[in-house]
Amino acid sequence: MAGGRVFSALIGVLTIFSAASVAGAQSFTAPGEGKQLFAALCENCHGPNGMGDEAPALNRPTLTYAPDDAALRRIIGDGLPERGMPRVRRMTDEEITVLATYVRSLGRTPPVQVAGNAQRGRAVYQRLSCATCHVVDGQGGVLGPELTKIGQRRAPNFLRQAVLEPGSVLSKGVLGILTNGFVEYLPVSVIERSGREVRGIRVNEDSFTIQMRDADGKFYSFRKTDVERIEKQAGRSLMPSYKNRLNAADTDDLVAYLYSLGGGK
Amino acid sequence: MSGRFHLALLALCLGALVVAADAQAQVPYQRIVRAASEPQNWLTYSGNYNSQRYSALNEINRQNVARLRPAWMYQLKRPGVFETSPIVVDGIMYITEPPSTVTALDARTGRPLWTWTPTIPSDVIVIGSPPVNRGVAILDDTVFAGSIAGHLTALDAKSGAVRWDIVVGDNKRGYYLTLAPLALDGKIVVGVSGAEAGIRGFIDAYDPKTGKLVWRTYTIPGPGEPGSETWGKDSANIGGSSTWLTGSYDPQLNLLYWTTGNPGPDYDGDVRPGDNLYSCAVLAIDASTGKIRWHFQFTPHDVHDWDSNQIPILFDDTINGRPRKLLAQANRNGFYYVLDRETGEFLTGTPYAKQTWAARLDAKGRPVLLPGNEPTVEGKTVFPNLQGSANWYSPTYSPQTKLFYQFTREMSTTYYKGQAKYITGQPYTAGGGIAVNGDDAYAAVRALEGTTGKLKWEFKLLQPGMDGLMATAGGLVFGGTEEGNFFALDAETGKPLWDMQLGGAVHANPMGFGIDGKQYVAIAAGWTLYVFSLP
Repeated sequence: MAGGRVFSALIGVLTIFSAASVAGAQSFTAPGEGKQLFAALCENCHGPNGMGDEAPALNRPTLTYAPDDAALRRIIGDGLPERGMPRVRRMTDEEITVLATYVRSLGRTPPVQVAGNAQRGRAVYQRLSCATCHVVDGQGGVLGPELTKIGQRRAPNFLRQAVLEPGSVLSKGVLGILTNGFVEYLPVSVIERSGREVRGIRVNEDSFTIQMRDADGKFYSFRKTDVERIEKQAGRSLMPSYKNRLNAADTDDLVAYLYSLGGGK
Repeated sequence: MSGRFHLALLALCLGALVVAADAQAQVPYQRIVRAASEPQNWLTYSGNYNSQRYSALNEINRQNVARLRPAWMYQLKRPGVFETSPIVVDGIMYITEPPSTVTALDARTGRPLWTWTPTIPSDVIVIGSPPVNRGVAILDDTVFAGSIAGHLTALDAKSGAVRWDIVVGDNKRGYYLTLAPLALDGKIVVGVSGAEAGIRGFIDAYDPKTGKLVWRTYTIPGPGEPGSETWGKDSANIGGSSTWLTGSYDPQLNLLYWTTGNPGPDYDGDVRPGDNLYSCAVLAIDASTGKIRWHFQFTPHDVHDWDSNQIPILFDDTINGRPRKLLAQANRNGFYYVLDRETGEFLTGTPYAKQTWAARLDAKGRPVLLPGNEPTVEGKTVFPNLQGSANWYSPTYSPQTKLFYQFTREMSTTYYKGQAKYITGQPYTAGGGIAVNGDDAYAAVRALEGTTGKLKWEFKLLQPGMDGLMATAGGLVFGGTEEGNFFALDAETGKPLWDMQLGGAVHANPMGFGIDGKQYVAIAAGWTLYVFSLP
């Protein structure tokens, strides 16, 4: 390919085709094999059988961004970059057809069931002082991500993971600042030549500088050549794990509350 | 009519002839051959036929580069991916703007002198890259530019008026042009993009005066021709092997070195059994006739979209006591190659980036494959990335240090195999890939010994971008980053000496020029062309 980031400027390619015949299609595009394509291309984010994970659940009759088949085909073909969904690969019309058919079939399966109670979960959220670091409906601190509509973006199992092991599910590409798949809210330590250590989260970075904010919200900007070293703590988060601080019922309730934000169902 | 008037008329005519001759001969072929003798100008895409992208100007050097500052900027009239590599002739800069606009600027101030935009149909087919343009060629008094509509156009260098306009490849079949043409003696040479739409690649030479085709060399043999047996049944005519980047040229050997892209469909090799000649190769072509003298295929039967279109750099050096005319390329597949450019003999090949697909290269330079690295329906993660460890952006070679400098992308891709189905004018790739990016990837400027590929130093960068490099006689290497930095490194050690944040990703090659003894360095970033100088 002629280099650069892969995308098509071809208007014709973006045309929404009418449902194509799958007659004569090769093995993995035959009807019923949409499940195999889904497992290969979609499951990593949308979860097994479309139950949702980092990306929203698809086992519901109405999909927010794909209300009709044309929209669904377009999203499968091109991704939804503004929502963080890439185009995994180019697909033929037949491939899109079997995948779209499979995704629609998921809408006829039972929707995601959330074990807890959102009202009680709200109380847990307040008791844990989550608002110290998170904004909901304009209220709260900003060291962590805003949660006002988190239920639209994440599925319950992902939210549970975020409560229990926050370092394992840090967001990528949500803020639109450090793009191209970089981890957001990444804990970093900058050790200056004087020996002073500054700890906080990475706000932005380029090849020559790094910008960060400490736990008090204080902003720092460093030139990389001016400091002793920079340590990036991959897989960790400034947010504590609640694995051993919440019982099962409280965890369920907190997840139910988070999932309700923005009308996740 | 008086005798005096006759004399006056004669003088006027002679004067007009002199002016006309000047205009006609603004950049004759011999001037491009001797480009090294006028480093204040940048007469062809890579600065010289040897494609070293080396500026012999040294006013800006290790000692003073820290004082570099912007001299002027030029902003695009409409946004797009800005990959231009300017050329400069006697104080005038010629750039291209996305998708296919040509603009002449006062190189001293950045003020536009003329601009020309072709008519691009709304249903233009551009499959396989963004709709970009990487630059123009100049010969005599004419500027030449390709377009995403598949045309080649000759423009008057003083006004931008169209001299002629021809169709190189049928855009309805997926042909389009993004490259800067190459001006030779009486020929304008271009290649084509479109492998992802199932084209059959070729290289064309056109008469600069008329636009008439002089020769065409297909990069996939026709039925019955040698090499056609490397394609299996019915796959060759839609087999890609496009020619989308400017070649290099050796005037003494009269050999043109043109590189070729991936075979199609990209990720399903089952439908094209064999080596798929001459995809992913460099062709040595007799510039007079278009005949292929020799070829070297870097990646036989490619299934990862590893086009071999990266710029081949020509230089001379001694290997094992024998003076050699060499061609070197840091390939998208992760290996650095050195060939004898007279014969095509493979001399050296060594990884310069992480790669997980080949155990080694054999004595002839053919990769010995590691099994199980083909794309699958479920996805298979392989280094290098789908966009390669190198891509269209230029490397540079310094005759001072004898080092080959490469912006190296350290990144993998999960490759997926899909359905292979050819429909005219639609994507014909049979799959694709997801980049493993972010904190799991990085880039580095790597300085490689030209004759061996051995790493001398590296300077790490945050992320794999599309950033060309330029070495200078001031002992510097200039480059950019995906995050928008523009920087200068010490060419001997890789030590960073200067950098500036330009506010938009650099997807372009640096180049250099001079006016009235003052040295300038130019780079496109975001939607702006920046030109730097000392105060």
